[in-house]
Amino acid sequence: MIWKTLKVGFHRLGSPPTFYRVSALISPWLWGGFALCTLIGLYYALYVVPPDYQQSDSYRILFIHVPAAWQAMAGYIVMAILAVIALVWRIRTTEIMAMMCAPIGAAFTLICLATGSLWGRPMWGTWWAWDARLTSMLVLLFIYLGIMGLYAAFEDRRKGARVACILVLVGVVNIPIIHFSVEWWTTLHQGATIRFFGESTMHYSMMPPLVWMTIAVKLMFGAVLLDRSRNELLDQDRRKGWVRQKVGEET
Amino acid sequence: MIPQFEYAFYVWTSYAIFAFVIGWQIVQPVVRRRRILAELREELALETGAYNDPDS
Amino acid sequence: MNLSALPALLLRDLRLAVRHGGESLMPLFFLFAVLILVPLGVGPGPNLLASIAPGMIWVAALLASLLALENLFRPDFEDGSLEQWWLGHLPVTGLVMTRLFSHWLITGLPVILFAPLAAQMLYLPGEALGVLILSLLIGTPILSLVGGLAAALTLGTNRGSVLLSILVFPLVVPVLIFATGAVSAAADGFSPRAHLGLLTALLVLALTLVPLAVTAALRLNIE
Repeated sequence: MIWKTLKVGFHRLGSPPTFYRVSALISPWLWGGFALCTLIGLYYALYVVPPDYQQSDSYRILFIHVPAAWQAMAGYIVMAILAVIALVWRIRTTEIMAMMCAPIGAAFTLICLATGSLWGRPMWGTWWAWDARLTSMLVLLFIYLGIMGLYAAFEDRRKGARVACILVLVGVVNIPIIHFSVEWWTTLHQGATIRFFGESTMHYSMMPPLVWMTIAVKLMFGAVLLDRSRNELLDQDRRKGWVRQKVGEET
Repeated sequence: MIPQFEYAFYVWTSYAIFAFVIGWQIVQPVVRRRRILAELREELALETGAYNDPDS
Repeated sequence: MNLSALPALLLRDLRLAVRHGGESLMPLFFLFAVLILVPLGVGPGPNLLASIAPGMIWVAALLASLLALENLFRPDFEDGSLEQWWLGHLPVTGLVMTRLFSHWLITGLPVILFAPLAAQMLYLPGEALGVLILSLLIGTPILSLVGGLAAALTLGTNRGSVLLSILVFPLVVPVLIFATGAVSAAADGFSPRAHLGLLTALLVLALTLVPLAVTAALRLNIE
């Protein structure tokens, strides 16, 4: 009985007006959670946590660098799952949601690369190293950009979304291969690879800010995803009745 | 109030980039939504004849 | 299933390539243009050139393979004959593979045939030449397959060519790594087998999955 209600509810989300309404209800909660978790996380990261005995204060970059890197990858997984649903069941809201994951994922990849570079400068003495993680992150950024470019290049947005969903799935096969090939490449071409975490394990006092920031970033991904998807639906359905009605109500 | 860090430049630049990109992710949907709604309202007003041309 | 029309498609593609003459040889000219510019850019020192030769030859081959991609499916798409692929009795994946094979014969094979000359130009050590040719034999079909996928994905857009290179670049990173790894290993006197094995694994993976993805992408584009 509960299962059936859930199933019906899920199917209703495939309808643009329902999705539009439900996402408007969920999104503020996600934004609130994001603000709360960020404040707690930043407080821990900037005030509570003591300086590292090796890296001094520079390791505080970790608390935004690592959550951004995780979210860049998790965002791709979310996009891939949505792309499978979109291609198999041809649900338009999931097509749009899959496409809206790409710019957010690209933004996190960019944060990860920029902060990594800023962390590398004082610690390794260089802005960029052809390290395995850095290189595969850079490639991931280009995959995100490729997906966004492909979606934007089509005049028929729906067709563009479907074609780009195929590219998303190609990326799912390819990203692990890229990751491992780059890893072997650095171990074979360079003498010693610079490691992010070295041999030392993380001290337990570093956990709270990392956990809070990770949760914050995940909530924000969800909130932006819903907001962007609503906008895209509104834009695509300009001529449809439900949008007209909505605009009429809001004026 | 603002903590003094070693490597302050790198730490604060990182957090600034984070804030900037996140801020842009927050602002972009809001701006786009406003623009779409404004366009739609204008269209609707044109159709119903309630449109006030600011140039006339 | 009657597959006798597949060789006919292959012959047609090859005949078209021969009649276009100079245009079909563009990738080869491009390859050699890059290989002539490299010594002019980095200096004629044999040691330096020999150490960057595997990478340069492979990067040039990769860029050259991008050139002919734009017209892989587009003429057929524009005159409507691509739609006929779905109306006939032939399996579309077979047609796709035939088309990709003819693309490889036109762009990949000449590069392999002229690889000894390219290797000489950049002073690649003699013992690495065999591995270079082997890596090109295994690797260039992957370039054709991945390039074909990008061409199929961008078919319905009107600014395909810029997008093509952005789409191809991340997908061919592993190919470049393993192929140049094999040649460099051979040039340094190590066994290239591990790299060549991984490259072959990539070829098998691409051969099984890419034609399906290309078929799906073409289908969406002609819908």
